[in-house]
Amino acid sequence: MIVAENVEKRFGETLVLKRVNLRVEPGEVVTILGASGSGKSTLIRCINGLETLSGGKITVDGHDVSTKAGLVAARRASATVFQLFNLYPHMTALRNITLAPIEVLKLPKAEAEARARALLDKVGLAAHADAYPQQLSGGQRQRVGICRALAMQPRYLLLDEVTSALDPEMTGDVLRILAELAADGTTMVFVTHEIEFARHISSRIVFLEQGELIVDLPTAQFFAEDGGLAVPRIRQFLSKMKKD
Amino acid sequence: MRYADFTPYDIILLLQGLGVTLALFIGTTLIGLAIGLLLAVVHHYRIPGCRPVIVVVTEALKNSPVLVQLFLVFFGIPAFLHIRMTPVEAATLTISLNTAAFAFVIFRSGIESIDRDQIEAAKVFGLNRSQILRLVIAPQATAFAVGPLVGILVNQLQVTSLISVIGVFDLTKIGNILNLRTLQPFIVWAVIGLIYYIAAKTLAHVGGRIEAALRKSVKWGGI
Ligand SMILES: Nc1ncnc2c1ncn2[C@@H]1O[C@H](COP(=O)(O)OP(=O)(O)OP(=O)(O)O)[C@@H](O)[C@H]1O
Ligand SMILES: [Mg+2]
Repeated sequence: MIVAENVEKRFGETLVLKRVNLRVEPGEVVTILGASGSGKSTLIRCINGLETLSGGKITVDGHDVSTKAGLVAARRASATVFQLFNLYPHMTALRNITLAPIEVLKLPKAEAEARARALLDKVGLAAHADAYPQQLSGGQRQRVGICRALAMQPRYLLLDEVTSALDPEMTGDVLRILAELAADGTTMVFVTHEIEFARHISSRIVFLEQGELIVDLPTAQFFAEDGGLAVPRIRQFLSKMKKD
Repeated sequence: MRYADFTPYDIILLLQGLGVTLALFIGTTLIGLAIGLLLAVVHHYRIPGCRPVIVVVTEALKNSPVLVQLFLVFFGIPAFLHIRMTPVEAATLTISLNTAAFAFVIFRSGIESIDRDQIEAAKVFGLNRSQILRLVIAPQATAFAVGPLVGILVNQLQVTSLISVIGVFDLTKIGNILNLRTLQPFIVWAVIGLIYYIAAKTLAHVGGRIEAALRKSVKWGGI
């Protein structure tokens, strides 16, 4: 379980996250919605330890990310897929995927590669194992990014706008894979602007407004007239999203 | 045969001089690259207090004449610290540090050329500092650095000729000796120049091959 308690994050004078509370149980898909600059990425980066907390506490399966040993354990439990893929450009797709399993999980090379090839096959990239990121399209790169995360066999998948750098066609490919993962029971924390998709795969939706987590509801209730839509800010946000 | 004539033995003298020049060049290159790399890594990790010192010292080394540095080391250090220093020691120390200063700048920009994002990804996937340095940063920084490094080293090879001034028997010093004996400066210095030229061209060629091989194994189009 991922638990964030009263999480605060400040950059200099500005408070970017304000007493945020969030729980993600195994098997859930929790989508984080919010306007640009509301702190979604920052929250994800606090969970995977790329930002240090200014206040509050985050634990992943009980491991406190603000301690050194806790962070190591928390990072083993989760894996991140990045908006801009963040692949290692000097490594092939296969090596991108096997790097951490070999170096961190100490998996034998043959086993790591077999696993990586199976994952690539699953996302339709079996033929591209030896391609370098530069030789792949954005959508293909992001699928490699997803394989790289899954190769760690994480209990939690953290995804920050993983389709927003892709054109619509490629977005479809990536979303299909994520939908499959969700159907398989993969636990995900998902930041996205794809509202319809979020509605389709999420068990819960939370809404960040200027660093405050103002709504946390099961998906159906979030989109209900007497639920999330009753909050003016959310109604406004959703109608703006529909227009875009 | 007059004393002033060229003799077959002069070829051996030249080869000896070339040997000293190459040995000094290779030695100072290895030491200089190692120190330069170390400085770049220390700089990268922002070890407290180190950054300004490194920057000031390397800037001083890059922006003052090597001959002046050589005199400072050969005459200055013994006078100041009351230690004895042979010409070869002084030459090795000076050129190693000078090479280190240039190598530092190149390695630093090599490291800085790497996208922060991938380093964050490596961290999140649980790689530790030394793994990130070895597996993510070093290969890319090396591919970036080889070209400029070869350029610097070709230049440093010529710079080694300055050590003849403090009495190291390198190729230039041998040229001096032959010149004084034969009084044929045009021939002597043309031959010496040609030998440096061939050495430098060979170095550039080998460097080019290494660079091409590195770029082939890292096919990404970024740099
Ligand atoms: N390293 C940083 N230094 C200073 N301010 C930052 C830093 N990172 C983020 N911020 C600020 O924190 C706020 C929240 O940023 P964040 O990236 O979390 O927003 P977001 O909800 O992910 O937005 P978007 O939808 O555009 O990705 C923004 O105002 C941003 O300018
Ligand atoms: Mg963001």
